Amino acid sequence: MFESGIVIAICGAVICALLGCCGSALGVMYAGKSAAGVVSEKPDLFGKMLVLQALPGTQGIYGFLIAILVMVNTGLLGTPADISVATGWQYFFATLPMAIVGLISGIAQGKTAAAAIQMTGKQPDASGKGITMTALVETYAILALLTSILLIFSIK
Amino acid sequence: MIAPMKKVSIVCMKEDREKVLSALQHSALMMITASENGIHGSDKESSEKQRRLEQLLRELSKYEKKKGMFAQPTTVSEDDFDNVSEDTVKLCEEIEKLVEKRDSVTAEIVSLNSTIELMSEWKDLKTDLSNLAPTESTLTSVGKLPIARFDEFKSRIADVDADFEKVSESEKTVQILLVYFKEAASQIRTLLTECEFEEVKFPFERGNVSDITKDLKVKLDSVTKEKEILLEKLKEVTDTSKEDVETLFEQYRASADRTEVRLEETLETVFIEGWVRADSLDKLNSTVKKATKIFDIESRDPKDGEDVPTSLTNNKTVAQFEGITEMFNPPKYGDYDPNAVMAPWYWIIFGMMMGDAGYGLMMAVMILAGKKLLRPQGGMAKLMNVILYSSITTIIFGILFGSYFGEELLPAVLPFTAMGDPIKMLLLTIIVGVLHIFTGMITKMVLDIKSGHPWDAIFDQLSWMMIIAGVGMIFINPLQKIGIIIALAGALIILLTAGRHKKGVIGKLVGGLGGLYNITSYFSDILSYSRILALSLATGVVGMVMNLLAGMVQGSVIGFILSLVIYIVGHIFNLVLGLLSAYVHACRLQYIEFYGKFYEGGGTIFKPFGIKTNYINIKKD
Repeated sequence: MFESGIVIAICGAVICALLGCCGSALGVMYAGKSAAGVVSEKPDLFGKMLVLQALPGTQGIYGFLIAILVMVNTGLLGTPADISVATGWQYFFATLPMAIVGLISGIAQGKTAAAAIQMTGKQPDASGKGITMTALVETYAILALLTSILLIFSIK
Repeated sequence: MIAPMKKVSIVCMKEDREKVLSALQHSALMMITASENGIHGSDKESSEKQRRLEQLLRELSKYEKKKGMFAQPTTVSEDDFDNVSEDTVKLCEEIEKLVEKRDSVTAEIVSLNSTIELMSEWKDLKTDLSNLAPTESTLTSVGKLPIARFDEFKSRIADVDADFEKVSESEKTVQILLVYFKEAASQIRTLLTECEFEEVKFPFERGNVSDITKDLKVKLDSVTKEKEILLEKLKEVTDTSKEDVETLFEQYRASADRTEVRLEETLETVFIEGWVRADSLDKLNSTVKKATKIFDIESRDPKDGEDVPTSLTNNKTVAQFEGITEMFNPPKYGDYDPNAVMAPWYWIIFGMMMGDAGYGLMMAVMILAGKKLLRPQGGMAKLMNVILYSSITTIIFGILFGSYFGEELLPAVLPFTAMGDPIKMLLLTIIVGVLHIFTGMITKMVLDIKSGHPWDAIFDQLSWMMIIAGVGMIFINPLQKIGIIIALAGALIILLTAGRHKKGVIGKLVGGLGGLYNITSYFSDILSYSRILALSLATGVVGMVMNLLAGMVQGSVIGFILSLVIYIVGHIFNLVLGLLSAYVHACRLQYIEFYGKFYEGGGTIFKPFGIKTNYINIKKD
């Protein structure tokens, strides 16, 4: 099956959406478990908790975004263009940064968000600091996203 | 700007304590500093009353009709707030009685039900209960034992001087009535225990079981009805007077807050000390004067080393952005307030990250509607205003990038689009980043020069700006040579001066080289701005996907309706996610990349002693 370029490109898109979304699902779960505990004691903090819990959700979006870009660029959403095996592999490798970093940073950001949620539970005024700490983890997901995007756009 | 503060001390008579504190509370001008040796107010009851009412409100909220999402709290005028209404106090006592009555009635229903259950088990006991009383020589027991033990019981009881009657048999147990002589009592007891006999004590001494059950049922009916009436009354009272109870609660809370304040006292006077904004000193004076005739008020400038709270006086536009700095670290008194330089950058960067004219329009509409319906106050109102302002930049950048709900409806004003030529867009974001960082560094230079360290400004800031600008110029062809010279000159300054605080020639040299190593931190700071591209692409691409999905289902009438749903839900979803990301990352760029260059913070926010309310709004006269 690796004789077809389009199959390899789809492989890349699939892995990217798969790992990115898994990372986010795990991350949002870690944060959500923590947030539920805080909200059980302090229902007023629900709004702040929701923001913090949503933060690890972006990796899934980024993974999805790269998958869509691959689909658009290979013409999968319309009539598939004829893609050589080499180009297929180019797409495959271009998706890897986002796929792998998406999985790992999603989990890592979820754990940071869980800690930030605990902190906000004890000091509601510190939610801004917690958001910043959590967003720092995301920087690397964004760098990976950019790498993947720039690579995909540069594939001729 | 940070408002100048004054330390104020008020001395007044002990009996005026409540009046003066109440006036201060209403005016919300003064942040009272707690005194460790201070004494609480004398009204010890208010906090207990507050607690009781809190509980009462919790009870009432069970009977409340569902309020609309956009219901506003009641507004109470300042004068009304000062006068505790005796009627409401009485009403609250009545409601408390109602709640108590409801609890006792509920408990009675439970006990009636369990008695009825017990009696129904014994409905076959035909004898009058008065016959169960002991006679001169015999005792009577009623009770049940497990069916499995009944045969054993029957055979063993035959050996003893006793007589029994099987009253009824249920699934698992046999109900029996047992009569025996007093002399055999201890023997019978052991036998009964061994057969797992469970004695029943009726809560009645006489009467027929079926009659008693009938009576109980009648009673249960009347008690249930009574409960219904009580619940109806509670609902009614909640409907008509919950707001009064809420007001009373807030009054008690305000009074409890006054009691809570610890003030130093002499035999006759109390001493109130705290911080006031210099510009509201006169107002404070007249406020206290209105409350009491006998007082003394003194003010002085803050001393070195005193922990002075920070109150900001920015114009209305910049003031909306204050919350962003406060979330990070409020400025220290006497330091520089960064909000004025931060606000325009936050505004621009937020707009670039969203970067879609359609979404900008949606933001504006949603926020304007939200402000109208929710009438937010405090921090929430400020945040909404920030987003409202940023909707303008979002629209502008949307037009520049040619992005309308993820589609290029109109050609981009800029010669490139983020999707079409991401490298050029990346360059643009990096240029914005450099300008942003330069703003921070120039601010630091101005602060250095103002505080009398002009050389620090040149050595630590200008040198790096030369390197960054020089390196940038290398990429522009005609400026290449000048760029190299500027960058090298900057590097030389750093090499020679970065170690100037170290001792010895070697220390200075190592310090200089170490200084140059900072290039990595500047490099990562500038690259960090590439997130603007990533986020604007994310918003754009997800929006595009939504359009694509909606386009796929179109074709029939049902498909058209479905596509409308996808358009609406999809774009709102994308907008909310985009807003969250833009908000968080625009904040982060300010906190880490921008504030890292010149700002420390570490102040405490000026929170004047005032009335805190959850349930009501107080209208100032």
